Amino acid sequence: MRILKFKKLDSTQKKAKEIVQKMKPWTIILAEEQISGYGRKGNFWYSPRGGLYFSVILPKAKIEDLQIMTILSAFCVAKILKEDFQLEPFIKLPNDIYVRGKKICGILTENLIFGKEIRASIIGIGLNTNIEKFPENLKEKSTSLKIELKSEINNNKVLERIVKEMKNIFEKIA
Amino acid sequence: MKFSIKIGDKEYPIEILEKNGEVKIKVGEKEFIFEENKEVFLARTKLEKKEFKERKILAPIGGVINEVFVKEGDFIKEGQKLFLLSAMKMENEILSDFDGKIKKIFVKKGEVVKKDQLLLLGE
Repeated sequence: MRILKFKKLDSTQKKAKEIVQKMKPWTIILAEEQISGYGRKGNFWYSPRGGLYFSVILPKAKIEDLQIMTILSAFCVAKILKEDFQLEPFIKLPNDIYVRGKKICGILTENLIFGKEIRASIIGIGLNTNIEKFPENLKEKSTSLKIELKSEINNNKVLERIVKEMKNIFEKIA
Repeated sequence: MKFSIKIGDKEYPIEILEKNGEVKIKVGEKEFIFEENKEVFLARTKLEKKEFKERKILAPIGGVINEVFVKEGDFIKEGQKLFLLSAMKMENEILSDFDGKIKKIFVKKGEVVKKDQLLLLGE
């Protein structure tokens, strides 16, 4: 897998959409920090340094398979949170993962449609890994792996695990 | 024989030569050779009528129009973002597949659309 790393971006999804025509499937756009990270309907995603924010360029697929992929990506992340970190994740379909009633991860799929053809599909994942504190308006609704486990998380390892799981699933369904 | 002619504000140098049964007429840098009983194409006197093809943008899937990025009368380019359609738990950017002008937009923000519903007419 090819990973394009950035210290800071507006958003990995925005960057991915800009360069997608030149990139191969499974290219990952990774940012240490996002200024304008977003989820569904453009909702702001708090993305300070420490968290894991990345977008994956998917191979061409039918729109029905992309929908399944969105849901299964949430499943991949939840599986890793359970197996690797012994947390009890709750998937609020289609895009959010909660731990102890607070949001820990958001997933967004964006498709670029040209005529009737899907020109590109990009899945963006924002996982709160090493975030110690949330601003006042988010602290009751958000949590992170660091808050839950009281230890530092290796973002690169988690990224690799998530993308490998996603690839396995994609190859089975599409 | 050399002379010039004026058409409107423009002046054209003309030279007429005859040699071996051929008449060569030079107009500026262009040359026209005439032989007896043979037709020669000189120039088009009017533009071909351009056919403007009507273009349609249809909803690729059913969903909700969350954003309309253009308005009627806009000139758009191929690949330009037209609509944001939320459907099947994904955000879908509908891009133009033609260069042209928007004649009519049939949907507005917040509207529910069905698959193949007409969203926009262009030319």
